[in-house]
Amino acid sequence: MDSINITGARILFEIPVTDSFVIKITQAQVNSWIVILFLFILCKVLTRNLKVKPESKRQLIAEFIVEKATNLVNENMGQKFIGFTPFITALMALSACSSLLSVFGMYSPTADLNTILGWSIIVFILITYYKMKGGFFKYLKGFTQPIAVLTPFNIISEIATPVSMTFRHFGNICSGSVIMTLVYAALASASALVFGWLPGALAKFPFFQVGIPLVLSAYFDMFGGILQAFIFAMLTMLYISSAAEED
Amino acid sequence: MGKFLDLVSIDPVHIIITIINLMILFFIFKKFLFKPVQEIFDKRQQEIDKIYSDAQSAHDAAQKDKTEYSEKISAADEEAQQIVKKAAEKAERISDNIISEANSKASAMLKKADEDIAQERKKAVNEIKNEISSISVDIAQKVIEREINENDQKDLIDSFIDKIGDDNG
Repeated sequence: MDSINITGARILFEIPVTDSFVIKITQAQVNSWIVILFLFILCKVLTRNLKVKPESKRQLIAEFIVEKATNLVNENMGQKFIGFTPFITALMALSACSSLLSVFGMYSPTADLNTILGWSIIVFILITYYKMKGGFFKYLKGFTQPIAVLTPFNIISEIATPVSMTFRHFGNICSGSVIMTLVYAALASASALVFGWLPGALAKFPFFQVGIPLVLSAYFDMFGGILQAFIFAMLTMLYISSAAEED
Repeated sequence: MGKFLDLVSIDPVHIIITIINLMILFFIFKKFLFKPVQEIFDKRQQEIDKIYSDAQSAHDAAQKDKTEYSEKISAADEEAQQIVKKAAEKAERISDNIISEANSKASAMLKKADEDIAQERKKAVNEIKNEISSISVDIAQKVIEREINENDQKDLIDSFIDKIGDDNG
């Protein structure tokens, strides 16, 4: 068995813009696009030929998704923010589907820090936007509350919000994939040890990799991925609505 | 084996791509999932509202018809009662007429019968009187044959006539 390599996304190709600035297109970006394409096709398929009296299961699924998402946003953010529903749904779907890619042995874009960081930055911008809605100076003044001495801590806590969201999500998914890599490697070595005496190619076949990782995969790839998508979306909703409530 | 990124690496280009990706997906969801489904919801709501208002108007119309019909039915009832009453009155009147007519006819008939009887009686009496007078003439002839006096004859005739008058009186 080769040494175990725990790395980030595979760089598929590089686009040199200048000598020092090279755009690297990695597996994370390509897989994100695959997910987006899949979700786009799903949307088109689900909303094809909608009827006032639903006839197809597709339409029922589409209506179910829209209704549940709207209710979720309505419960957590209130009627005022109902326009956020497609955004929250997109965030949740992108996160969950990206994480679920690892079920098919593909690289999860959510195991790449940049992906989650991008989302968190959007959330941070939205939070800041709603805080500034009451006025820019009021927003700045908010950092000196309740007393001026706390200003640095307030700034840190403000920045900590997107950072903690990023690392919570990234850490969960990434650690899952690291553990799965380790488990696969360990099972391969274990089966090499136990079945090494078998003749020919059978000796190298990793028998233990069949079935055993399923339980772990179900947790790290499916449960963990969906849970983190849900948590990320919930936190987004809570932060944005509480930011708007402050003014 | 190709090149890999580090496990934890930050690349601004990737972050920007991610943000763009999320925005694209947001617009996809908004345009291709939420908008059409929301339109269907709205249409359904409109249809439901229409059905409700239709049902309400149909109900109102039915209510109107019902009151109209019950009014009509009560009017018809009244009319029927009046007709029956009229018919009964008319029948009574006709029967009274018939009875009175019958009575008058009967009394006329009785009267006529009485008159007839009286006439018949008179006739009979006259006939009998004639008979008697002829008989008395016969008797008188016989008596005369036996030569009775005038007094005897007169007594005899008187007693005869008295007897006949008593019998037929």
